[in-house]
Amino acid sequence: MEGTETGANSYLIRPNYQHKFKAGVVKECIREILRDNLSGVQYDPEQSHLLSTQLADTIKEKLKEVGFERYKLVVQVVLGEQRGEGVKMAARCYWDADTDNYAQDIFMNESLFCVAAAFGSYYY
Amino acid sequence: MNRKITKEDTWRTDELKKHMRGYEEDIKRGEKMRRSEDERRHRSGASVDRRQRDHEREETRDKEKLKEREQKERTKHRELERYRDMDRRREDPREKANGRNEREREQRKDREKDKGVDINSRDKRHDRVEKETRDKEKEREKYKEVMSEREKERERDKRRAERERERRSERDMAGDVTRARLQDGEIETERDRRERNRSRDHMKESVHREGKERNRERERRERHGDHELSGYKEGREQREHRMEKEVGEKRRKEREHRGASEMRNSERERRHRDHGGSEGRIHGERDRDRERAREEPEKRHREESEQMKRGTTSSHKDKDNRKDRKDQMVVKSQSTWRSSQGDFNDPDIPVENEDTEKPPSGDYEEVDYEEDFEKMDYEEDFEDADEDEHASGEEKQDDKEDDLSPQRREEIRAIQRAMDEENERAGSSQSRPRTEESLTPRTDTETQPPRGRQHRGVIDFVSAKRREVSKKVSSRQKKRSAELLRMIDLDFSITFSVLDLPPVNEYDMYIKSFGTTNTKQAYVQCNEENTDREVQTEETDTSDKWTQHPAETSISCGGPDQSQDAVVDVTLRTNFDSRRLVSFLRSATQVMSVLLEEDRAERHALTRFKSQSDSLSFSDGCLQLNTRLPFLHGRQVSHLHFSDAQRQTLLSVHAPSTKPSAVRLDSQSIICVWNIWEPSRPQKTLVYESEVCCCCFSPGKATLVFAGTSVGSVVLWDLREPSSSHYSLKIGESDWILRYPTFSTDAVLSVSGHLSTVRAVEPVTVPVSEGLRPELPLLVNQEESLGLSFLLASLDEKGVLNLWVVVELPKSSDAGSQTDLGLRPGGKVKLLHSSTLQTCDSRSSPHDVTHPGPLQALLLKFLPSDSSHYFIGTNMGVVNHGTRHGLKAPPKFYSPQVAGFRPVQISSLEFCSNGQPHFLVGCGDGSVRLHSIQSEQPLLEWSGSTGGEAVVSVQWALTRPAVFCVLDAASCLHLWNLVEDQQRPVLTERIDVDSVTTMAVFGDPATQNMYSGIALAKHSGRIEIHYFRKRFTVPTLADSEKLDSLMRDAL
Repeated sequence: MEGTETGANSYLIRPNYQHKFKAGVVKECIREILRDNLSGVQYDPEQSHLLSTQLADTIKEKLKEVGFERYKLVVQVVLGEQRGEGVKMAARCYWDADTDNYAQDIFMNESLFCVAAAFGSYYY
Repeated sequence: MNRKITKEDTWRTDELKKHMRGYEEDIKRGEKMRRSEDERRHRSGASVDRRQRDHEREETRDKEKLKEREQKERTKHRELERYRDMDRRREDPREKANGRNEREREQRKDREKDKGVDINSRDKRHDRVEKETRDKEKEREKYKEVMSEREKERERDKRRAERERERRSERDMAGDVTRARLQDGEIETERDRRERNRSRDHMKESVHREGKERNRERERRERHGDHELSGYKEGREQREHRMEKEVGEKRRKEREHRGASEMRNSERERRHRDHGGSEGRIHGERDRDRERAREEPEKRHREESEQMKRGTTSSHKDKDNRKDRKDQMVVKSQSTWRSSQGDFNDPDIPVENEDTEKPPSGDYEEVDYEEDFEKMDYEEDFEDADEDEHASGEEKQDDKEDDLSPQRREEIRAIQRAMDEENERAGSSQSRPRTEESLTPRTDTETQPPRGRQHRGVIDFVSAKRREVSKKVSSRQKKRSAELLRMIDLDFSITFSVLDLPPVNEYDMYIKSFGTTNTKQAYVQCNEENTDREVQTEETDTSDKWTQHPAETSISCGGPDQSQDAVVDVTLRTNFDSRRLVSFLRSATQVMSVLLEEDRAERHALTRFKSQSDSLSFSDGCLQLNTRLPFLHGRQVSHLHFSDAQRQTLLSVHAPSTKPSAVRLDSQSIICVWNIWEPSRPQKTLVYESEVCCCCFSPGKATLVFAGTSVGSVVLWDLREPSSSHYSLKIGESDWILRYPTFSTDAVLSVSGHLSTVRAVEPVTVPVSEGLRPELPLLVNQEESLGLSFLLASLDEKGVLNLWVVVELPKSSDAGSQTDLGLRPGGKVKLLHSSTLQTCDSRSSPHDVTHPGPLQALLLKFLPSDSSHYFIGTNMGVVNHGTRHGLKAPPKFYSPQVAGFRPVQISSLEFCSNGQPHFLVGCGDGSVRLHSIQSEQPLLEWSGSTGGEAVVSVQWALTRPAVFCVLDAASCLHLWNLVEDQQRPVLTERIDVDSVTTMAVFGDPATQNMYSGIALAKHSGRIEIHYFRKRFTVPTLADSEKLDSLMRDAL
């Protein structure tokens, strides 16, 4: 019944190209933000959780400004201290590979490493 | 939910869809739970929204039910007395309740009818109020209610709860899959089937066992009456569904026990009706209703269990009995549950049959219930339940009607009030945890206030609306997701490696922390291989230089800067064409030198030669060639020869000097090439080792000089050879270039060459157009033959005529030629022997007998118009005539008029210059003959003109055909003009001072201002050039006519 109301609905199952989640652009955004916020920052276990959430929010806002319409943006920021240990991070997604994408960038200095990954999932 | 989680292991699209559907149903169920809870709370009013929707249907259904129940009523009335007894004994509240229920339903119907459709919008609170007022009415009417009745009411609730619980448990058991089956049309999953099989096996056993047990139980129940219900506390503590089953069973058994065969019938009827009408009727709304219905029992059963708890706490009765029964019930309920499960799960067995087959077992009702559930006729049951609820109100009224004593009623009322209050309290307290349990977080805050029913009534409306909205939204979302899922493909991305930071090994760690300690950077090396510091920053200057050896011009080396200049130089250098310059200079210098010579000669001639020129009567002017050269000193001029093409070019052959001189050229002949306009010095000086007997120019330009020598060789000089390649002799202050022959046949061609003195060399010219314009074609031909492919004939004394091909090599070689040893190194022109003719076959001559000596050939001439004819002057006074190709020519000899051979040398043989076929022959005996080539006999013969002196030379004047000069040995020069005088020379000039040894006539008939003259070689070696006066140079028409007439006369 709703179906007839909405008719043969024309779902936007693909984003417009200009709104498509472009990994390169996003990566650049992330890199910029990470560099601005983390250059010269020493790792502080007290502050890191605050910093990481703040970073994630900043990135998300920035990405919204860039304007990925109809995208659900998920930003994950991992902040860790560099003490020589090996770190391995991986992500796996169940999504529509045509529309959804992710971008990630890594920032490292002497005391910390920061991995920020932004996932864009398309709202149909 | 657990199953859902396990499903996630094997995600697939359709499974996901199913899962999502299930999830949505869960959500809906949650909504339903909320709703059903509300419904439960306000049973009298039921759920408003449901009522709104189902109102009409309910009404019709209610009517049907009413009819049925009225029937029952009638039967009941018949047995009314018995009922009352039972009522008094409180043994069977159920039937009464039923009856009351129906009655009340009727009443409510009436009320509803009165109020009309208002029910739909009726506030729930109003419902409750109504109910309360109803209760108050009941009280007012003083119908006594006893505790047992309340318990019965509660029991009824419980029964309903049991049913719901059964449904719920069944659903829980069957899980999502069963739900899916119900939706998708009875698809049985394996699990269900397994369960069913198991339970079916159990069932058969348990049915028998149960029958006995139930009988026993029935007896016991009769004994204990209603108190058995108190045992439910323990039942709840045990497994929930087990208890439900027990309760259900108990209820059913009670029914049976009271001989409720009618009930059974009615139930069956209801079931049939469900089978037939209602199911089909409901079918359209079934999904929605079913879902809602599913929620309700869940809520209810939970509530019910709590109520039961309360019930048990409120009615502390017969704990001993309860304990006893509990044991039994546990056993029984397990089996009954199983059996019911089995029956329920066996849809193949027709219900009717089951009913007929197993009436005594008592299980059939369960089966019926289960069947009902399976048919999703929950709504009906709920309605029934609602009806029951309403009936409970009626029941009281019924009770009121009962004839009880007023005191007793009062008592009952008091008890009832207390009960009500208690219930109220319990209900409100109970509702609190329930809301927390079952409500979704969204409604949580609203339902949170523990105010109880009144408050909740307000919330219900809002939440109902919200539910409605959210349901719509969710269904829309569900549809949307379903459609979208068809369009898109979800898949697992590859695993993105977000960060891979390898652990730092110890060494790196060490270096990182301590690696730079105690180090200091001194300086930076930018070019690792060069360790000298100086090298680092200094740039190496490089430039290109070139050298050349030997140095070309003055530049032997240069750099990039100089090379630019050098390039300019080179371009300048290459810009001037040396060949053109040389050719220009050659011509220019000739002109300039001529002009200078003339200028000088004029100055000197005026003083020196003027007087002398007057001495020669024929001379118009005279100039002397400067033969007073050191190497020409003391030499006699043996020959003079003018070029036919370049008329001003003169060859003078100076015989070897007999007297020793300063220069070492005494034994050698010297040929000087003169330009008569340049008398001061010879142009070229040619040297040969032996005596040159004859010489000639090449037929074209005077570039080649040929000479025959006394030793029998033919030599040639190439005048174009650069002077640098020749021997330079410095005599005095000036350098003289002495040119040795370019080619000589001396030793090389001894076989084919001449073995005796070469008397004559003559070029064989090939006239292109004979006779017509003899000079011009000749010139053209000569120009063309600059390639120098012409024949040269040489004649020696023995009469051997050799023909040579003059070949010009394309390239000279300074190294000389190995095959042609006669060729001078650097020479380009050579002679190839072509053929040899023996012209003077003295043996064949008839005069050989008289002539003792051999016939000598002395002179060679070719016929100018036809070079194949040669004329050879011999020492026998005759001229031989022949052709080169051996053809016979008519006059074989040209002999003097006096017949017979005399040993007279022919000293001169000269063809007419204008191309006419006449020739003059001068003989040693002083006679001069004029021959035509056609006749053997001369046209004219002058024998005594020279006074017996031998004729040295006879020369035609080049400009006047009828004029010729004769020089005799006495140095007398006779000028003949045949037009003027045929018998004697017109002028005879005797030169006594310095005898003339030889002479040559020159002149150019082709030029406009024709000049003609004679070169005289004096005994002293001087060469004088005299220009003839005009009377000898300007041709007249009579000249050729005279010759022609002479020819005609002769013929």
